[in-house]
Amino acid sequence: MPWWTRPLVRLAAALALPLLIPALITLILWALPGSPAEIICPPERCGAEATAELERHFHLDAGPLGFYTHWLGNAVQFDFGTSWRVMAGVRISEMLAGALPATTKLILIAMTLVLGASALATAQIIPKRLDPVWQAIGLLPTVILALLCAAYVTITYGAVSYDGWPGTLRLLMGGLVLGVADGTLGQAIQGTRSIFEEEVKQRYVGIAVLRGESVLSNTLPNVMPALAGQLRGRVLAMLSGSVVVEVVLGVEGLGQLVWDGTLKQDFGLVLAAAWAYALLSSALLAMQALVEIGTAWYVRRSPVVPEVA
Amino acid sequence: MKRAVWAGLAGLMLFTLLLLAATAPDRLPGMDAGARALGPGDFPPFGTDRDGRSLLVYAQQGAAIVALPTLLSGVIVAFLATIAGLARCAAIGWLDSGLQAFQELVGALPRLVVVLVVAMLLPYDWRTLMPIAFTWAILAAPAAMDEAAATAGRLGGARFVEALRAHGFTAGRIYLYHVTLLNLRPVIARQAAEVMMQVIFLEIALSYLADASGGDAASFTHSADTKSWASLLYEGYTWLAAGLPLAHAMALGLGLVGCTVLGTQAFRLAARAR
Repeated sequence: MPWWTRPLVRLAAALALPLLIPALITLILWALPGSPAEIICPPERCGAEATAELERHFHLDAGPLGFYTHWLGNAVQFDFGTSWRVMAGVRISEMLAGALPATTKLILIAMTLVLGASALATAQIIPKRLDPVWQAIGLLPTVILALLCAAYVTITYGAVSYDGWPGTLRLLMGGLVLGVADGTLGQAIQGTRSIFEEEVKQRYVGIAVLRGESVLSNTLPNVMPALAGQLRGRVLAMLSGSVVVEVVLGVEGLGQLVWDGTLKQDFGLVLAAAWAYALLSSALLAMQALVEIGTAWYVRRSPVVPEVA
Repeated sequence: MKRAVWAGLAGLMLFTLLLLAATAPDRLPGMDAGARALGPGDFPPFGTDRDGRSLLVYAQQGAAIVALPTLLSGVIVAFLATIAGLARCAAIGWLDSGLQAFQELVGALPRLVVVLVVAMLLPYDWRTLMPIAFTWAILAAPAAMDEAAATAGRLGGARFVEALRAHGFTAGRIYLYHVTLLNLRPVIARQAAEVMMQVIFLEIALSYLADASGGDAASFTHSADTKSWASLLYEGYTWLAAGLPLAHAMALGLGLVGCTVLGTQAFRLAARAR
């Protein structure tokens, strides 16, 4: 398989993902028995009038293709309409923009922890014998760690402590949970270390050391694609876990918005939030593909060999 | 420890799960004001909740919610991983490429968000853990498929099959026995066991979030007259945060989570390579 196949597939997937997510949702909606509006909000629960209003509100009466093209046409202009139930009448794009910073902070805190620990482990500052400790901590699921953290904040600062230091503490603890739970930290430490350990065994590294070059400058370009792949997987897992962390710890982020929208059957909000997640995921895929392409170009450059006279 | 010991432990855990599920009552028993928040000593074996209901019923109903969907998700992941491994060995180019494209696309989705979208779109009558577990298994499959394909690749792929053919083995024996049972088994079993554990934790997370979002929030995984293992943790949380005498509920909830982790590890170790 040529080297460019994988990055090309990734770039194609990155382009397809934002189109595919609403298409899949549309497909599911129209594949299920009954009309889409009745599935989202059955008349016996919402009332016939509300169901009919929902149908008009989201253009569900235009058929699958009409709905899809209308929704996607507006989505590319970041116009998702207004919320149906979570914050009735408020523009969804405003809600998403308001929620994004909290989720970004959570992910950044978690990534700082994971990347820092991975770097320290690779530099052998964190010893290998501590690996069982990270693995043992990682056996705890996100929801358990998050509820223990929520209990601590509630006991210490009260149940409605969302501003000031308690609010910051919720964020920090949320990031910590995302970085540690479900084996994230243990896998990151072991994964990064093992990638470098395998690469260092290669013959070219030994020769480079003999030439007086550093190990890192030689190994890093070759391990970059693997590291980028691991990074993408971890950020995706964190985005997924952020839903649980945000709801349990009371952080007003994108995950909390998706959860509220799902509970209250706010179809437009959930669809828009899922699309936002798809865009983030596409960006990560594209990032990995570009790293792979960049690395391939870099390592395939012919070395400048002086001509023999 | 010997593999047989781990296999025995994994079997015991699975048997306990199925036994609890099979003996679970369909509905919650009525409230008993005289037996509120009793410990295991006063109300064996696990004590009662704040309404005087036995926590044993929570454990049984929670097991009934997760048992079948968990097994199904494990089977789906094992099947897809086997297909990916065999495709690499059989050197079927179009199938291998198709599976890789599937892995790229599906593996790029944030799982919990997709699960929530599916949960929202499901008609009310279909709201059980089964479709959610099915979705999760499909979303988790790319990692298992990738690892199985890589393992088959390291094995030698098509050259390994060719070498065995030269020994006169039939295709069935090569693919089912030599490739799948002897070489892919540890990967497939570990990945399936992990996804089974994830489905149990997913159920706990979704039910816990529904409990934490207020009493009127409908669960996506079970009916209103059954209790999930998450309800034990929620009862236990009131002990942590509000000081209610329900530490035994938290202990039972954490114990069940611990048993899930232990069962998964035992299954993984029982299926490991020699």
